[in-house]
Amino acid sequence: MYLRKFGISILGAVAFIFSSLSFADETCMSPYMAKIVGQEDYVYVWTLGVEGLGDEQDKLVTIDVNPKSKTYAKVVSVLSVGGRNEAHHSGLSDDRKYLWAGGLDSNKIFIFDVHSNPRKPTLHKVITDFVEKTGGVVGPHTFYALPGRIMVSGLSNNTDNGGRTALVEYNSKGEFIATHWLPTDGDLRGAKKTGKYADGYGYDVRVQPRRNIMLTSSFTGWSNYMMDFGQMLQDGEAMKRFGNTMVVWDLHSRKPKKVLDVPGAPLEIRCAWGANNNYCFTTTALTSKIWLIYEDDNGEWQGKAVADIGDPAKVPLPVDISITSDDKGLWVDTFMDGKARYFDISDPHNPVQVYEEQIGSQVNMISQSWDGKRAYFSTSLLGNWDKTGEADEQWVKLYDWDENSKELTHKWTIDFYKEKLGRAHQMRFGAYSLYSSTTDNKKAVTLLDK
Amino acid sequence: MDKKLLKTIFYSSFLAIILFAITSSGYTNAENNSYTGPGDDKTGYDSKNYKTNSLSLDHREGKKADLIKYVTVKQLGLPNLVIPSENPITKEKIDLGKKLFFDRRLSLNNTMSCGMCHVPEQGFTSNEIKTAVGIEGRSNLRNTPTLLNVAFSKFLFHDAREYSLEGQVWQPVLAHSEMAMPSFGFTLKKIKLIPGYIELFEKAFPGEGVSIETFGKAIASYERSLISGNSSFDKWYFGKDENAVSDEVKEGFKVFSGKGNCIACHSVGKNEALFFDNKLHNTGIGYAESMGLLNKKKTKVQLAPGEYVEVDNEIIKSVNQQKKSNDLGLYSITENPSHRWLFKTPTLRNISLTSPYMHNGSISTLEEVIDFYNNGGINNELLSPMIKKLNLTDIEKNNLKIFLESLVGENIEVLIADALSTPVGDLTKDDPNWANNTDMGYNK
Repeated sequence: MYLRKFGISILGAVAFIFSSLSFADETCMSPYMAKIVGQEDYVYVWTLGVEGLGDEQDKLVTIDVNPKSKTYAKVVSVLSVGGRNEAHHSGLSDDRKYLWAGGLDSNKIFIFDVHSNPRKPTLHKVITDFVEKTGGVVGPHTFYALPGRIMVSGLSNNTDNGGRTALVEYNSKGEFIATHWLPTDGDLRGAKKTGKYADGYGYDVRVQPRRNIMLTSSFTGWSNYMMDFGQMLQDGEAMKRFGNTMVVWDLHSRKPKKVLDVPGAPLEIRCAWGANNNYCFTTTALTSKIWLIYEDDNGEWQGKAVADIGDPAKVPLPVDISITSDDKGLWVDTFMDGKARYFDISDPHNPVQVYEEQIGSQVNMISQSWDGKRAYFSTSLLGNWDKTGEADEQWVKLYDWDENSKELTHKWTIDFYKEKLGRAHQMRFGAYSLYSSTTDNKKAVTLLDK
Repeated sequence: MDKKLLKTIFYSSFLAIILFAITSSGYTNAENNSYTGPGDDKTGYDSKNYKTNSLSLDHREGKKADLIKYVTVKQLGLPNLVIPSENPITKEKIDLGKKLFFDRRLSLNNTMSCGMCHVPEQGFTSNEIKTAVGIEGRSNLRNTPTLLNVAFSKFLFHDAREYSLEGQVWQPVLAHSEMAMPSFGFTLKKIKLIPGYIELFEKAFPGEGVSIETFGKAIASYERSLISGNSSFDKWYFGKDENAVSDEVKEGFKVFSGKGNCIACHSVGKNEALFFDNKLHNTGIGYAESMGLLNKKKTKVQLAPGEYVEVDNEIIKSVNQQKKSNDLGLYSITENPSHRWLFKTPTLRNISLTSPYMHNGSISTLEEVIDFYNNGGINNELLSPMIKKLNLTDIEKNNLKIFLESLVGENIEVLIADALSTPVGDLTKDDPNWANNTDMGYNK
């Protein structure tokens, strides 16, 4: 036991050194990814097309977010991609030169070149055969950088359009490598079913490399995430089709090790950054709880509910979450009431909400800067799940966050309906500083935070 | 020791080990060879004690079958099938139709196929949602009807608006809320550009090629081959095998044909039984929905196994994207006011595989359906006079349910396995799509 603990400490120390040098990013991204250490220059917004609005199709919207720029807080580039693909999440490659963005409906994966000219991304490649190549995986969701790889989590399948699905591994060139099916009762794939559930559902994927673990969460299949939200809530059959599991994987071998019961649709996963913080958080969308997935004293990974989010009886629907880089705070957006809630997670086993702010009539994503001083919010959850009528606001907003006074201050809003863009979903950051040593962008390097 | 005995001992020991492993580990299920029922079974989800029962997708490879024999050889309990003279059935047509049926490329954005709603392992309907979800998630008013034994239907669709499978085929393909292909011509052009189809059409329809007619005939041929009789009930009732069913089934049939008078619409003849009358009736379900009689202030919403909350309907309304028109049934075809809320009688064959029930999927279980009719449906001025309060006892209701469960066709596993063996048509790099640089030839 002593040797084991000693080994863990050494590993932790090594990981800490690495994270100080080159790992880490704006708090929620892959530790294998290049890092923006200071002010971001652009926010790339993966945006859903809306029938009757502008060109009606999905697009990558680039917003200038450098306060020193003449076009600060303005849309500087719009790249339409054809179709309403159910634009959802996006993720950057390990070198941060390419942004992968998926369509949960069309299963197309759009790979944007964001390094040649960060102000005006171009469409580098479109993967059209995701379902065929993967053996029937539907709904490419999370795009998560591993060294030389992109791990894509699926949401559904082409057999019953339900929630059973897989992780899919691509190389950075966009070539299919492998399909890793999530464990089901029919084939646990060597994993241990620790509770009552092994549903095989998927949603997000995150890693803690120094512990050699990868975590996945679980949502629902195509027939639900494409369905009208109000209709679905009234459909008792459909409401049975949500994930209740998280899976702990061996990161290196890509083999599932344990299936944990986490009832109520655990969605986003955020892992702690601290060298000895062997834990990650998730929130359950339907049961409105924060769950801690942690390594216990025996080296076993466990899951437990550690806090309620708002009043679970009112189904506030926690959606995106964001952990601060010092592991002390966790932002939780709740879609239905349009609020951002800040939890003190200094004691990860006892999160306490210390602040909340009304961001809008609906809110989904949050992206914060590495120093936590800036938080960007966006609105859209899913094309057929967003609110209706006047409550269907679609924007990106920037707030400044004062950690000492615990206060968000609104800086600006870009109205995506007024701009005829669509529904604003995921936001990813770009910066000239990332490419300063290799491209002509050197002249434009801004505010590299020493 | 002879080889046969050794083999028996080996397999018995093997089975014992497997059984021991399953029972001692507490697993609810292991991969099995059954294709009937959803691969992601949610039975018991209303209880906190629910345990998953999910099968692995990558093991469900299916097995190709010779479907033409189900068309040409009469099955016990079913009438002789009349095949339209203009579309004689062939193996090649069935195979082509099946491939088209599961091809998602036959939709505007390459995501929807016929098989997306008519899911084989879910009784060729969808057990997972009440009403069908179409392209881009568009809402449809009705529950997906099963295609099992559809060949015997005089009318098609819940509102009886079509009369032949060949004619029916095109409607979901072109419907805005289903597969949304923009036109006949564009669909045919796209099919011709997908590698392999021209050859398969030529094989199935020599000299005719890809056309509006051959497309309809091919899919109709596959749908026509989904015939499933020779159920336990058939073996007992028509085959006179007294051991084919339990006493409960026999008692249930007495209720069905006697006190319950279900047989008035779900017909049973002397030598065969379709369990439908090729007519339309008003049960009150459509009326109640149109008039908002079932609306409540709150909706019970399930959050997790055994966990529910009551959600204010104002909240649900705030996220209802698509305004639904009312479903008036046959009236929407004829505009005859006496046809309001008339819907086609569904077959009861394979009924235990095709939940949820009624034209709008509003009833989840057979028990609830029996309760609905036991209470006399929902009263309205056009309620079918055959629907009355039944005063069935609990035992009678239970026997009726057990009888209904005896109507699963003998070959159902074969039909599902055959469907699962058919590759789903998903977009490949060689298919027509702007992103593949293989466009449809405009402005060139």
